[in-house]
Amino acid sequence: MEILKNPNFDFLGKTRYFVAASLAIILGGFLLMSRSGGVRYGVEFSGGTQLVVKFQQAPAVDLIRTAVEAQSQGAVIQTYDDPKKNQVLIRLGETGEGELTQTADRVLASLRTAYAQNPVVESSSEIVGPIVGAELRRKAVQLTVLGLLFQLVYIAIRFKGAIWGAAATVAVFHDVLVTFAFLAFFKYEITLNVIAALLTLVGYSVNDTIVIFDRARENLRQKRKDPLTKILNDSLNQTLTRTIISNGTTFLSVLGLYLFGGEVLRSFGFTMVVGILVGTYSTIYIASPIVIWWGGYRKKTPGGTGAAAKAAL
Amino acid sequence: MPEALQNPIVLWFVLSVALAGLAYAFLRRELLVKGTLYGSFLLACLVAAWPPYETPDQPGKIRLGLDLRGGIHLVLQVVTDDALNATIDDAVQTTRDQAGRKGIAFASCQRIDATSFSLEGVEPARVKDGRDLLRDYFRAEWEIREPSEGRFLVKMTDPFVRIVKDRTVKEAIKTLERRVNQLGVAEPVIAEHGSAGDQILVQLPGVTDVEQAKRVIKTTAQLALKLVEDQAPSREALLQSFQGKLPDNMEVVQGAGDTPGQPVFYLVRREAVITGRDLKNARAGVDQNNQPDVQFTLNPQGAEKFKRETGRNIGRRLAIILDGSVASAPTIQSQISHDGVITGRFTVQEADELSKVLRAGALPATLRYLQELTVGASLGKDSIRSGVLASSAAMAFITIFMLVYYRLSGLNAVVALAANLLILLGAMAYSGATLTLPGIAGIILTIGVGVDTNVLVFERIREELRHGKTVRAAITNGFERVWITILDTHATALIAAAFLFQFGTGPIKGFAVTLVWGLVANIFASYFVSQFLFEWVLGKRHVDSLSI
Repeated sequence: MEILKNPNFDFLGKTRYFVAASLAIILGGFLLMSRSGGVRYGVEFSGGTQLVVKFQQAPAVDLIRTAVEAQSQGAVIQTYDDPKKNQVLIRLGETGEGELTQTADRVLASLRTAYAQNPVVESSSEIVGPIVGAELRRKAVQLTVLGLLFQLVYIAIRFKGAIWGAAATVAVFHDVLVTFAFLAFFKYEITLNVIAALLTLVGYSVNDTIVIFDRARENLRQKRKDPLTKILNDSLNQTLTRTIISNGTTFLSVLGLYLFGGEVLRSFGFTMVVGILVGTYSTIYIASPIVIWWGGYRKKTPGGTGAAAKAAL
Repeated sequence: MPEALQNPIVLWFVLSVALAGLAYAFLRRELLVKGTLYGSFLLACLVAAWPPYETPDQPGKIRLGLDLRGGIHLVLQVVTDDALNATIDDAVQTTRDQAGRKGIAFASCQRIDATSFSLEGVEPARVKDGRDLLRDYFRAEWEIREPSEGRFLVKMTDPFVRIVKDRTVKEAIKTLERRVNQLGVAEPVIAEHGSAGDQILVQLPGVTDVEQAKRVIKTTAQLALKLVEDQAPSREALLQSFQGKLPDNMEVVQGAGDTPGQPVFYLVRREAVITGRDLKNARAGVDQNNQPDVQFTLNPQGAEKFKRETGRNIGRRLAIILDGSVASAPTIQSQISHDGVITGRFTVQEADELSKVLRAGALPATLRYLQELTVGASLGKDSIRSGVLASSAAMAFITIFMLVYYRLSGLNAVVALAANLLILLGAMAYSGATLTLPGIAGIILTIGVGVDTNVLVFERIREELRHGKTVRAAITNGFERVWITILDTHATALIAAAFLFQFGTGPIKGFAVTLVWGLVANIFASYFVSQFLFEWVLGKRHVDSLSI
């Protein structure tokens, strides 16, 4: 069975529209983030208190709110996971003076007394002090930047021609930014899991670009007379089946993660789902056009010929 | 015999390798050798990982993280200034005592901050004696300055400060270990944490009573028995007879009174009769009125001191001070040597917890929470269930797809995938790595990467076949051509995993660990095992077509 027999799509005919769309999404993401007051961090980064309380029967959120408000102002209260599990997520507004876990302990105690007829079965908590939060935030930024940098070093070593590396690099940054925009649009918090997913998808995106560029360089050696656009377009078509199946199966695995992985892994799943789509897209519509534009630029510069431009690649 | 060889799995594997080597030397049948090697390796992984889950008869081989098992994860900061203050207070006391003994008069001797104290207004005639006294008692670890005649500033040197801080954190860890032992937690983690050097990580997997565990960990449990000089409803009232200035050798401690909301203040001697260090044992009991109390036994040194002081002070009151507040202040009825009782308005549980922390010893400093993560057991179970559901869904889908799309070669991929997961689990079990919820996500990603490898190879084989190559050549070329690309795929993912590993403990490290093992396992399974399967099935037969 084969999905496509000798595919021959014109991927690179209208790239400028796609590039424009990408830029619009990234810009929109930035606007959205700046309008809603910056990045929404999860508790582990921002510091604060988040409780998940499981009740014996379906809880009335209003009752919980009154009990919680008596102890701490400005709490966010919502159903957590499947409503059948009778779980409520409580994110406290402020940690309060004094001992870090004091407010959370008081809230839990008051829920127990205020809700005697529907007892608390179990609770989970995530309480992060400002020191730990700030430390982790610093570490996350540091490690993400370093991780990206190392991927770039790998790309540079892998592609001896600078332009291929530069194109793959731009594509990777594009993927991270677009994924951030999606996270902002769908109101996901930036948690450790999201950072883990981001670093992983950077690996995927680089890898996807490498597969297609490898093929393009192979073709470049064999068919020197073809224009660069055609060579890249052919390479995209030749690897299309692999792209669809490989990325498709990975996509479906992470989609399973997003759908069935439970509440904790939802943001991880979402980031990977978006990331794999964007990573595939960016190889075609971001990385490839950059190589073509560069080739065109070299051709136009004085003394440059088409062959010289390609040789430089 | 080296230690590693004593492990039956390792021993068995080493023997198989040796046997395979012999077989190759005599029989020259490469495929047979490869098959034996791969088979025995996979069997070793199976033995290492089986059963992965906990069953009623035996524990699971894969260690589960807190997020899956439920439990507590705390990051505590040791307030090392407490220990420094105590060191300076000791030094001030020593200076006062020694100056008094030598008859050197001075205006004041007091703590300036956490690491220094001053001795001021030493009588002009005795300045030299005062200097000698300080030099005698505060040597290399201290720095003595004399800004003006008769005025001394004594400061701890930086290395000494570091030593004290370090010692405090180590002592706190030891105390916490003893306390956690009392709680009876299996596989607890208590260790220094972070780069600042004053943080402690406490992980208690499987603990259900979170609040009790927190109380037992957190109580400083500094016990001191001090003689009571006076008692009054307010601090000011106590100090009236001293013109509002507290004498050097006394201090004021608050305690709960008989009526709630009305505290009682005690004026007590600064110097303790006995402290928590003098205890040999403590246990919860009940007094004659059936009220819960804590009974303690003193060690020989403590008993001697206690006997002397109680004998000398019959009829006076002794304040039992726990973590800076008076629990009770009974009157000394007779001379006591070994045993004592702490009464207070305890509940049975409070008395039990108090006796536990007294047994384990006091913390050298206050602990402050920096982070608390607790996961309820049923939430952990939910997470496992969703994780297993998500991986099974991914696995089932991929199996069906590969079989439909690549037919018999798809079966090859599925076998390779199963081998991949087996190696991953075996490695996790054997290395004692912890499986966390993001770790399950890592397994799902491994499935994805594994299929990616197979697809790369299969597509290339198809292409080679289309170009008219023979089946055998197509397979050889297919595997060879994609080798570099497969290395790339894994290298980029390994770079990401290496950085995630740096996040230190917790779920994300679990993700990085599964990802790393998954990637390594995948190169073996999806490339080498899959290649072997092709070669094995084709054998020496002549084949015209391939089911791909």
